[in-house]
Amino acid sequence: MFEPINSDQQPRVDKLQLFAVAGLMILGTAFVYSATMVGGTDFPAPWFHQKWFHQIIWYGLGLGAALTLCLVDYHSLARWSTVVYWLTVIALVAVLIPGIGTTHGWGARRWINLGFFQFQPSEFAKLGVIFALASYLSRPAEELRMPRIFGKALGMLALPFVLIMKEPDLGSALVLVPTGAAMLLAAGIPQRFLLRLMAGAAILAALFLVDVLLAPPNWQIKLEDYQRRRLLVYFGIDYTSSSHAPKTESERLHKQQFDDSHNVRQALISVGSGGLRGKGWRQGTQNALGYLPRAVAHNDFIFSVLAEEEGFVGSVTVLALYAVVLFTGIRIAGQARDRLGKLMAVGVVTLLFSHVFINIGMNIRIMPVTGVPLPLLSYGGSSVLGSLIAMGILQNVYIHRKGY
Amino acid sequence: MLIFDQLKRNDPQLQLLAVGVLSGLLVLLAGLWWVQVVSARDYQNTLESQSFRTVRIPAARGKIFDRSGTNVLADNRPRYSVNLYLEELRGQFQLNYSQSIPVRVVTNSPVFWKRWMGASNVSTQRVRLSREQLGVLSWQSREQAARLAVRQISRSLQQPLDFDPLEFETHYRQRLAMPYPVITDLSTVQIARFEEQWPLPPGVDLELQPLRFYPHQSAAAHLLGSLKYDDSSKEGEDAEFHYRLPDYRGVIGIEAGFDSELRGHAGAKSVLVNNLGYRQSENIWSPAQPGRNVVLTVDLAIQRAAEEALPAMAMGPDTRGAAVVMEVDTGDVLALASAPSFNPNVFLPKLSLADNKRLTDPHLRPQINRAIQMQYQAGSTFKTIVALALLETPEARFNPNEKYIVAPNPAKPESGIIYIGNQPFHDTVAPGEYDLRRALVRSSNAYFIANGLRKGVFERVVQLGHRLHFGEPLGLHLNQEASGNFPSPERARTWTAGNRANLCIGQGEMDVTPLQLAVMTCALANGGRVLQPRLVQRLESQSPVLSEPSVFFPGGVVRDTLGVSPTSLEILHKDMLAETEDAQEGTGRDARVAGLRICGKTGTAARMEHGVKRNTTWFISFAPYEHPKYAVVVAVEDGVSGGHSCAPVARKIYEALLLRERGSFAGTAPLALAH
Repeated sequence: MFEPINSDQQPRVDKLQLFAVAGLMILGTAFVYSATMVGGTDFPAPWFHQKWFHQIIWYGLGLGAALTLCLVDYHSLARWSTVVYWLTVIALVAVLIPGIGTTHGWGARRWINLGFFQFQPSEFAKLGVIFALASYLSRPAEELRMPRIFGKALGMLALPFVLIMKEPDLGSALVLVPTGAAMLLAAGIPQRFLLRLMAGAAILAALFLVDVLLAPPNWQIKLEDYQRRRLLVYFGIDYTSSSHAPKTESERLHKQQFDDSHNVRQALISVGSGGLRGKGWRQGTQNALGYLPRAVAHNDFIFSVLAEEEGFVGSVTVLALYAVVLFTGIRIAGQARDRLGKLMAVGVVTLLFSHVFINIGMNIRIMPVTGVPLPLLSYGGSSVLGSLIAMGILQNVYIHRKGY
Repeated sequence: MLIFDQLKRNDPQLQLLAVGVLSGLLVLLAGLWWVQVVSARDYQNTLESQSFRTVRIPAARGKIFDRSGTNVLADNRPRYSVNLYLEELRGQFQLNYSQSIPVRVVTNSPVFWKRWMGASNVSTQRVRLSREQLGVLSWQSREQAARLAVRQISRSLQQPLDFDPLEFETHYRQRLAMPYPVITDLSTVQIARFEEQWPLPPGVDLELQPLRFYPHQSAAAHLLGSLKYDDSSKEGEDAEFHYRLPDYRGVIGIEAGFDSELRGHAGAKSVLVNNLGYRQSENIWSPAQPGRNVVLTVDLAIQRAAEEALPAMAMGPDTRGAAVVMEVDTGDVLALASAPSFNPNVFLPKLSLADNKRLTDPHLRPQINRAIQMQYQAGSTFKTIVALALLETPEARFNPNEKYIVAPNPAKPESGIIYIGNQPFHDTVAPGEYDLRRALVRSSNAYFIANGLRKGVFERVVQLGHRLHFGEPLGLHLNQEASGNFPSPERARTWTAGNRANLCIGQGEMDVTPLQLAVMTCALANGGRVLQPRLVQRLESQSPVLSEPSVFFPGGVVRDTLGVSPTSLEILHKDMLAETEDAQEGTGRDARVAGLRICGKTGTAARMEHGVKRNTTWFISFAPYEHPKYAVVVAVEDGVSGGHSCAPVARKIYEALLLRERGSFAGTAPLALAH
């Protein structure tokens, strides 16, 4: 507590990270604008009803939430972790109840309509799980070696995982896996537990994929039809290969396959046609001409719009900004005062990284299409709020770091 | 790295995390590099192919002028069509669609207690339509929107218009980026009605496309040739297009021979389409370069006179024949007429069945250009060459004043006959004494056979025939030229006396086109120069703005010379003059025109057609006798005789030539005809 590094020169916040976050928010506003302000309508909505402006409001609200979060020491917050966890679980259950959760016609029940805001509990559930798990794992190191504790920690992860899967929102559920694994690892859970867990998870995942993709229809796990098709598209498997359908049926399946792979194909064309330098802001044609579906261009596929208009240079800029955020996050984890702070930082960093990897990977077809937004860039209140709150947690850990 | 320095000390888990994050980001970086830098070109191509449609824009076709450079023989007229731009109809479509989708339907009348409660008489239920049903509905509303627009156009044109749903569907599926043609080739009245309706309903536009038009109808129809719908790319043009606007290619005649010059260079535009295939914007990336104008040597007035004279003076409207007018010094073709004629405007935009029937009549064959495409035996007109050969062969010791006695035909004492071996050759002339002039004027077969078989004469005839390039095409590049027949010297040497005798009277194994005979006539008239006939004077730029240099084709190109002495030609000229001026015996008397001395030669040759022996009658001539300027050759199939059927046609043509001379005499240069 009385070490010489503790001086007024020591910055109170991680400025580098804040600059990167600000850069991402500027890019987010610019490309939400580009993705939504395409010609075609003679009477555009007034500016305060446009998506880019909403995005700015969400940034503002998110920054406010993050600032508020930073005012209180994370230790004090951690006392509420159990409450947060169960509130999260309640929200995740609530969204499954038809009268409360809405589908927006997408087939998945992920939103709770609050009138002014389509609240997406899974975005906040991820943070809630990180919060609760960090708090739970910040106990004496000896206890962590007990299988009971390990099992309980797994249970804490599994409950929201199953609930989110039930929505269904495979992408959001899956990001919990690396996040949880990283936190368990960082907490000092014995490696043999983790290895067994990973091996088991890998076998289960492999069995799952083989079953979904290749098994005859009545042997398959019940999965939403669109989810199965997304996986088929990703693995490039012919829809018709698994069923011996008559000709008309197989033609229909072919057409459906073409339609289903449409988004992926068009996203890839957008990204690829951007080339090295891109076409210039608002000069991209894929979005303007509607090849990239309007409904997803500004949220899940915002990266395609950016990559087409700014090219490889723009993509690398985005990657670099994320790299700054992530590595400063890891540094914050390293400087954390205690295991609680470190675990929170590790959880947040892994969560952000998973989002970035899955979303950008899906744009360049190295990951299957799942509805995972790109943190801070994608349009959407829940995603923006969640991401900024996550940044607030990181800064909170930094502010109350070692030797400060 | 900044972060790793701080992590190095003690934290393996965080190091693992950092490595994991770093490698993940590197994977993304590598993936982006692969997609955006390495394979960027592929994706750009895919993007282009899915969002660009290229359209070929044909160039404005060059015009064809007569020799004055002001009379347009082949022109382009605007062709107006009403087009519907489907992308503009989308508002209407969406309106129709939203109205046509049922939201609530009546299910049944409500249960009794609801009625007691004073509720509405019917109860409704929300409906959800299947994807297929929505598809049908959306197609119906799309069709309805188009139908509505067509009905609006129909109302403004005050004319019923058909809307063919099938045609619309085909267009929608295959040519969505292009406007939908509602009605093509509007009349001026319709254009006026349409323009009154300003502003036009949404999506409707008047479009203009050039269409070939021959303002003088059938004038020079055979020479000009015809066009055919052909929108394929020429050599050197882009070959890959999604759509092509109508374009035409010359099939025959000048239109074909100078097609590449007339046609110009097609341009291209690209249409940006959205994901539904609707047109978004257009960009012309290579404008069409207009074709060049062709200026012919043909004189419209003379051409018309020749075309009118053929049916009028020879055998009536069904006259089959040809007339060629050439300038003897330059080889310029002033008229190249063929009868019966046709109107080339019937071909475009589409040939009707009735027109097609007339054009393909197997007997009249109006599409044949008889002046260059038909080959006939030259008959007695070839005796002029035999006469020259007689005069030019010293070893034959020929004296034009020497008398030859035509023997009477025992079976028909009023006409002559000559036997070559056992083969009799009939002569139409009366038996008696004939010198060269009388033999030419009366066209005695016996005289020319007997003298043609003198030593060395036949070889000389064959030589002159070769110098005239008989049996060879004239190289006019019109896709319609016959080359004729003429024996090679080697072949002629093997001939029997009978074959030789036949050639001496222009029969047997020799065929010429009327234009070839005109070249011969010119050579007789101009002192022995065998000229290359000239049809095209120059190619010139279509727009005066474009400073594209004109291409000139020189006149008076000498292909060969006959190599005969002026004295021989003078004798021949005098004898040919007698053909028209000898009051008693001249067979070409009907060609005479006051104020013009014409040298001529008639002829009749036999030809076989479908196994029937038929006549071809000829009249070759040049004038004025003093300073020959024009050669006129007339051929008529199945004519009575050269004098009866062909000479009057020549007279009409000479009258037109005289009129032309006087016109230009009043205007500019003094001319030879006044002598």
